[in-house]
Amino acid sequence: MHISDGVLPISVALGSGVASLAIAAWSVKQTANEDLPKVAVVTASFFVSSLIHVPLGPTSVHLLIPGLVGVLLGPAAFLAILLGLLLQSLLFQFGGLTALGANALMMGIPALLCGLLFKRLRGDTQKQHVLVGGLAGGGGTLLAAALLALLLASGGEDFFGVMKLALLAHLPVFVVEGLVSAFTVSFLFRVKPELLAQQLGAAS
Amino acid sequence: MHDLQRLPPIDFSGPAQFEVRDLHFSYPNGQAALRGIDLSIAAGDRIALVGQNGSGKSTLIRHLNGLLPVQQGELIYQGEPLVGEHLRRARLEIGVLFQDPDDQLFCSTLYDDVCFGLVNQGMALETVEPLVRQALASVGLEGLIYKPSHHLSYGQKKRAALACLLAMRPQVLILDEPTANLDPGQEKILVELLRQYSGTLICITHDLLFAFELCQRAVVLDHGQIHHDYTMAELVAHPPSMREHGLDFSFRLAGLANQDLPPLQACTLLPEPPADTGTASHSKGTAVLALGNYRFSYPDGTQALQGVDFVLHAGESVAIVGENGAGKTTLLSCLMGIQSGTGEHSLEGANLSRKQRQLLWRKVGMVFQDPADQLFCASCAEEVAFGPRQLGLPAEEVERRVDQALQRVRLSGYHHRVPLHLSGGERKRLAIATVLSMQPELLILDEPTAGLDPQGEELLLEILKELPQTRILVSHDPFLVAELTQRTLVMHRGRVLEDYSTADFLADQSQKSLNLLALGYRQQRSREILELQHQHQHSHAHYHLHDHPHRHGELVHSHPHEHQHDHPHAYTHTHGADSSEHCHPPEVGYHEHSHPGHEEEEHRHVHPEDESSDG
Amino acid sequence: MSETQAMQLPLIYLLLAVFLCGTLWWLALWTLKTASHRHQEGQQERDWSVPLIDSAAGGDSLFHRWDVRFKLVALLGFAFLVVATRSPWSALLAMLLGLLAVRLARLPFARSLRRLLAMSGFLAMFLLIMPLTAVPHPGDFLLTFSGIDFLRFNLRGLSLALAIVGKACAVALLMEPLLATASLPRTVEGLTRLGVPEKVGQMILLAHRYIFVFLEEARRMATGMQVRGFQRRTSMQTLRVMGNYLGMLFVRSFERTHRVYDAMQARGYQGRFPAPAYFSVGKSDWLHTACWLLLGLLLLCFDRFWLGN
Repeated sequence: MHISDGVLPISVALGSGVASLAIAAWSVKQTANEDLPKVAVVTASFFVSSLIHVPLGPTSVHLLIPGLVGVLLGPAAFLAILLGLLLQSLLFQFGGLTALGANALMMGIPALLCGLLFKRLRGDTQKQHVLVGGLAGGGGTLLAAALLALLLASGGEDFFGVMKLALLAHLPVFVVEGLVSAFTVSFLFRVKPELLAQQLGAAS
Repeated sequence: MHDLQRLPPIDFSGPAQFEVRDLHFSYPNGQAALRGIDLSIAAGDRIALVGQNGSGKSTLIRHLNGLLPVQQGELIYQGEPLVGEHLRRARLEIGVLFQDPDDQLFCSTLYDDVCFGLVNQGMALETVEPLVRQALASVGLEGLIYKPSHHLSYGQKKRAALACLLAMRPQVLILDEPTANLDPGQEKILVELLRQYSGTLICITHDLLFAFELCQRAVVLDHGQIHHDYTMAELVAHPPSMREHGLDFSFRLAGLANQDLPPLQACTLLPEPPADTGTASHSKGTAVLALGNYRFSYPDGTQALQGVDFVLHAGESVAIVGENGAGKTTLLSCLMGIQSGTGEHSLEGANLSRKQRQLLWRKVGMVFQDPADQLFCASCAEEVAFGPRQLGLPAEEVERRVDQALQRVRLSGYHHRVPLHLSGGERKRLAIATVLSMQPELLILDEPTAGLDPQGEELLLEILKELPQTRILVSHDPFLVAELTQRTLVMHRGRVLEDYSTADFLADQSQKSLNLLALGYRQQRSREILELQHQHQHSHAHYHLHDHPHRHGELVHSHPHEHQHDHPHAYTHTHGADSSEHCHPPEVGYHEHSHPGHEEEEHRHVHPEDESSDG
Repeated sequence: MSETQAMQLPLIYLLLAVFLCGTLWWLALWTLKTASHRHQEGQQERDWSVPLIDSAAGGDSLFHRWDVRFKLVALLGFAFLVVATRSPWSALLAMLLGLLAVRLARLPFARSLRRLLAMSGFLAMFLLIMPLTAVPHPGDFLLTFSGIDFLRFNLRGLSLALAIVGKACAVALLMEPLLATASLPRTVEGLTRLGVPEKVGQMILLAHRYIFVFLEEARRMATGMQVRGFQRRTSMQTLRVMGNYLGMLFVRSFERTHRVYDAMQARGYQGRFPAPAYFSVGKSDWLHTACWLLLGLLLLCFDRFWLGN
């Protein structure tokens, strides 16, 4: 779920904008210069995968995959997410322009944390990879939901109802994302383990 | 027949443009890709780099423009090793056309893409515009200068990518499988463009007809080594060495020879002509699938099918031909029920509702052009089992079908291999197995041989011929159409133009020159190659009758005598494409040519005068 | 006023209101559908031999002629000022200004409508929830409907929600005039002139370019799965296949990144893309920019001082 324009108080919108700019600058610095074009191309695939809908009971949910982005890109994940969100906002109006910073924080911070978590804990076996991958995938979404709640709550107590609903709506997504991420990591482990071993763009 | 020491067939004076000496390369996983390459390339050379998939061709060209660093050996371009500042400058003179044009058109419009290289060459932005226009005009895309590349067709993208290179006026042009996935019309344009190009041309291709058209020199790679360095004519004239490197496409010529070439001198080793295909279409079985006045429009308003009538009978094999954009692919997806248009659509006589059309996958199997679009599992067994599982079959049956299908496509024992790691030909066969395991009544094949080397192509053909299913084949390849089908549908702009027997269609081609199939220059070249294959050089042991002074110990004398030599000679003869045997006997003849060093050798032969052999 | 005020209305009013909103939504959807259909029938292939930056081709309006850098500053500034307002009335005003901008830019309304519909789900959540969950403050007006007395609709919540919807729509309406009146490379070039690092600008363009390639790849793969009988259900099997599908998409994209980078290097890439210079600044650019920023400021002042929020 992306926050649209006008929801956040102006101070929060501006503040999160500045914060995400700072993190993005750090992310660019962490990425090897010649890898930036590669990160851009991969961002396009994350963009496309976030348009994929997974059926869930009578409706369907589309994937957010902050966890997976973090797993695959490491520190460059924040940059990729910021770019992806910008393009989603420009092309589809998913998430407002003035709320871009907030949205980037909401998705990017979980991505960075999950990337770190995965890198630390992934171990050597497929089982462990899948477990940690699922944890990162699900955890990323959970964290994103928590941040969304926090951002919404910044609007004051009137927004608590919306916040609760948003949290509730993310619960099933959290399960789906965790499972899909686990399966994706399992697939990658068997097919192209080097994608999991070295995070693209991580300055080597 | 490995004459590794032979000089390059084209003489050049002065220093070579590329000088490769003892080049070795191993990938990080330890796999050796190049093992001691020695190659000199002169300015203006036109070289076809051929060999099986995985023989190191791509690795070699990635060295030639410095994308891979030299690990061991030497690589000299214009007199200097290809590193540092020299490499930077060299890259601006060496153009590489990669396989997928989408990889090379990375800017927002064609203009920017062409601009990219020019500006890197140091030209000012203000001055490049005429050059950009000229380059795009030369490939026939002047009207699309500011179009974003994702709006172009595949052939247009390929030409745009070429324009990006030509604009830079490269001294060397390296092409990686330039004809892959092009329809014959687009291919013809590409051939014309490349013919006009005057610099050094290095071309990786499996398509020897294309190579024969453009190149004079053929370098054959095998397992990272250069096995032959021939003239192109020598290579195509020698099926055994092509066969050895998986390049033999003579099986294609055989079919062509039977069509409308003047009859060749009989040779027992030539394969039997295929059975008369014309009669088969008359014996019609029951209708399996039928479309009546079928129309389909895409959401963007393109009318892809405009009233198609088509009846497919059981056991029939039908080819669908037509230029790109004629509606072939749309027709296939409608037949499959992926797309649903208006009009009648019936299966075994019963009309299908929209809902039922979506269940057609149970009866109709489809193999896509690019296996990458069809393979998404982590092991071959899972991949093949996917379809049967979706059909809801019990586990043992699924397992049985997996084994059976894998065996059918000659991939037995591949159960636990990763599809992504297989070679192109294996992936293609795996894609076919995934469909076969569902045991469809009808099999749809979309360009099944695209991107395969000739050896892979021949194997695939063999497999396809064995399959009992009713078939629909979409292909640009006249050979495939002739081999696999009895009936041909010619499509043009969403309509069926002709529906007749394949034999009629093939005959029709030469008269109307509809230019739908890859005939034209190909047919011409095929004939030339056929001619060449009947008069060509052989290097195998044969007898000579000599008259020259020679030495027996102390005695030097001269008289006609006979002995064995191993060097090439031109013979006029015929022999089968699939064999290294020859119809011609190793003749004994009188030769007037010199055998360097021969006179100095010890001669051991019986002299009728003194009945003794000297030592 | 220290007490909340309450009022009860017949249930039919609520039903009518819900029905009205639903109808409006469907109407918008329908308009969009027919508009896009009509658009295609009368569609003519654009003349791609003329650059988009040439105003005659891409449309001609105040917005097309406006220097991109100034346009970005003016409209982004205006958007932030709009977001800073609080009352639904100023949001409504901003929305009208947005509509005016679309009109002035001579853009088809259908595209803006599509943007509005894309947000409608998220915004509907606010409209539905906020009136019910806004904490009653002294002076709030509570509305109940006969039959469902337990639901108390806080009008202040509704007004908050309406303000949000209005502001979101206002900014969304500005997006088309901001983006569709110049080609993306030009807009990005404008951004880099405003201080966004050039590398990042190029990344935006690259990502944008490859979205279309990957969309096509994803679509073909989905068809490939479909012809082998894959149906999306709520099941573990579906999730497993989706995992493979995503994995395959990533593998293909990572492989492509290397090929693209090779192709770039092969054409002499040294870390910089050629940046075409499109810009010329005139008096009118300054004027328009000042005008929009002033409008935004006036709106904010109106909101804060006149309406007393």
